[in-house]
This record gives sequence, structure tokens and C-alpha cells, in this order.
Amino acid sequence: MINNLLKTLVYFTVYALIQILILNHIHFLRVATPFLYLYFIVKMPVDISKVQVLMFSFLMGLVIDAFANTPGMHAAACTLAGFCRQPLINLYMGKDLPEGISPSYRAFGYGGFLRYTFSLVIIHHVTLFLIELLTLFDPLFLLIRIFASVLVTTLLICIVEAFNIGTPKSAE
Amino acid sequence: MRELLDFLVRKRHWFLFVFLEIVSLTLIYRNNAYQRNIMISSANVVTGHLVAVSGGVTSYLNLREINKELLERNGQLELQLLALQDQLEWLLTDTAAFTGVIPTDSAGQLPYDFITARVINNSVTHLSNYSTIDKGRKDGIQPDMGVVSDKGVVGIVSTVSDNFAVILPILNPKFRLSCKVLGSSYFGSLSWNGRDIRHANLDELPRHVPFQVGDTVVTSGYSAVFPEGLIVGTIDDFEKQRDDNFYSLRVTLASDFAGLSKVRVIRNYQQTERTALEQEAKRND
Repeated sequence: MINNLLKTLVYFTVYALIQILILNHIHFLRVATPFLYLYFIVKMPVDISKVQVLMFSFLMGLVIDAFANTPGMHAAACTLAGFCRQPLINLYMGKDLPEGISPSYRAFGYGGFLRYTFSLVIIHHVTLFLIELLTLFDPLFLLIRIFASVLVTTLLICIVEAFNIGTPKSAE
Repeated sequence: MRELLDFLVRKRHWFLFVFLEIVSLTLIYRNNAYQRNIMISSANVVTGHLVAVSGGVTSYLNLREINKELLERNGQLELQLLALQDQLEWLLTDTAAFTGVIPTDSAGQLPYDFITARVINNSVTHLSNYSTIDKGRKDGIQPDMGVVSDKGVVGIVSTVSDNFAVILPILNPKFRLSCKVLGSSYFGSLSWNGRDIRHANLDELPRHVPFQVGDTVVTSGYSAVFPEGLIVGTIDDFEKQRDDNFYSLRVTLASDFAGLSKVRVIRNYQQTERTALEQEAKRND
């Protein structure tokens, strides 16, 4: 239990730092920004309590907000994503999953993991960009931005997950 | 009763969810450009130091470019100096032709000076962008001071902590700047359209103002923040606005926001006096 919490905290720091120091400055073709920190929410163990998921998601959003100077925006989107996580897993994978696993290619299958990640990313990005829209206009540009960012984020998460696939079972 | 309690405990993540969303939304709505929450911004101590370290590392990556720019700037200034020396010499040799007045006291001097600072955190990718610099209240920086780079106007200081300050750059829809076309005295309002980090729009410029594509756009000096005549950009394109009495100009910004690294914060000794006076005039109205 403690071990699990510690691991979650380490992941939290690592993904937050990657996002803040590198990915926040990427702006592919002026439209797409990858939000890899969602991988942290994607990868939390399946049997972690919903309250913990919500707290971690909210904190992650708040940390990203602090560095991007957007108080509340990422926090709101992340909390919603964290809230939708469990229902999505139940929807795609059913309720009878083995204990102690994290979502991965091995646990969910390629299709399952992709669908699960894609849904979570869409929920997060649409919320995030809609909140941002409250300060500005231009719906077509917004759609392009959402679509491009969803693609880039999903792609990046799948790539990182592909590198994770070789880890021995004991590490899961 | 027990069932109700049971229900509440079972659904506690719902309440937590609603609570956290309310917290986030409150943060969003309280996020005003001028009274920003200093806890959750990059002017906070922890975030500030972290981005300072990261900025310290990445600033080395631009050194070659900065050196080149400095050399160019140096050359320009030297030329200017030579021209001025030339002029002075000419004036001194022929005192009969000299009709101007040499400023002898402080009244003739500009009430401005500069504080140089390094940009340690910078965003150009969002709709509302912000930059953080490594100087703060301790170095004499106050909210509402103007910020320029060696190429042109950058923005306005919005939040200040002891060691850091957050700048609201032109690339933020909340930022508006009174500008004019160099050589004319009519002014319009410059704002960013949220798309392109190279361009901004100068709106409400009266139609009878003569200008050409390529003309320089400078600050008008109608606010206490910037002195008159600082370069903002050049005219790239123009179109009539709906009501046909005004032009809307597309301005290519002079500052390179993606590569921002060294900036100067303009301190105006008379700013407090001037804004106090202006506010009093409004109150009396």
C-alpha cells in the first residue's frame, strides 16, 4: 500500500516535471500541445480508491496550472478526467479485473487501452479548451486545436506505454 | 437513516468531485489580470525558483543568437553616436547658427529609467500567455510597469512577488496598448487575435490617417506605462472595419516572443503622480 503510494508520488513528480519543463513549450504547427501528464491519470492502479484518484488528478492539474499561469483550468479538466476514469474502465473492460493491475497494453489489450486512453484524453481536452474559450472566440480554430492536441497527446501516451511494455510482471 | 448514511459514504467521491470542480472554477473566475492569485502562479517562491533554474539552463542555448543581436545593436548605437557627435561638432563650431536650447536642468530629462531582467518562464502557445522574469519587488519592480526587449515592446508587469514578476505580454487578449503610426498623431488600440504569435491588430485607427504597408507602429505615450515612440512593429496588412470609419491594421510585431530572453522594465518616476492625477480627474467628473 505504502509502496504503491510512493510509486504514485514519484510518477506524479516525474510527469509533472516533464510537462512543465518540456512539453508546455511545445506548440506543434501553432495548434497542438501534448499533455503527457494525463498519462499519470491513465496509469493509476485500477483498484485505487475513487477519492484518491480525484485528489491526485486535482493536485496534478493544480501543479500544472501554477506553472502555466492558468489558475483552475487544468485542475477543472483533470478532476473531470479523474472522475470519468472508473466508469470508462468499467465500460470498456467490465468490472471483473484482476487486483493490483494498472491499465496497460497487457492488461487491457491494444484496442482496449487505446479506446480507454482516447476517451480520457478527449474528455480532458474538450473541457480544457472550452474553459479557455470562455476568454476568447473563434470556434473553427478551437476545433482544430482540440483535434490536433488530442491526436498528439494520445500518440505520445501510446508511445510511452509501448516503452513500458517490456517491464517485468513484478513491476506492475 | 443508516441507509442514507451508507449512501452518502458510498457516493462520497461524487461530493469530492463537485467540491473540487467548484474550487477550480472559483480559481478560474477569480483569475483577473491585475489582482491575480499570487499563490498559484509562476511568481510564487517554489515555482519561481524552479523555473529560474530551468531558465538558467536554457538561456545558454540562445547565447549565440543573443550575441549576434547585441553586436548588431551595438553597431547601430555606435552609428547613432557618430551622427550625434557630428551634429554636435557642427553646432559647436558655428555658434551663430545654433538656435536650439541645451537642457541644463532635470526638467529636460526623460523621467524614465530601465531595470534589466532575464525571462525565466515564457509561454506563447496558449490563448492567454504570460512570461515570468527574475526581478521582483526587491529590485524595484511594481505592477503596471512597461516591459520592452531590445527589439520592441513586450508587455506590462501584472503580478509582482519579492523576487519574481509576471508579465502580461502583447500575446494576451487582456493586453491593450495605445499605438500610432510613426509620423502621424492619431492613435488606435493594439490587441492580439489569439492565433499568430507574429502578428497583432491595431484597431480604431481613423480612416483619414495616411499610412503605407511597411510603416512603423510605435507607442503613443498616452498611458503612463510607455514613453512615446517605442517600436511595436510594422504594418503588414489592413482592412476597413464594419462601420467603415476606422481601419484595422495587421501589425507584424517587432519583438520575437518565442525567443524572449533579456528584457528591460521601464520605471517611470512620474507614473504614480500621473495616474493619481488622472484618477482624480475621473472622480471629479
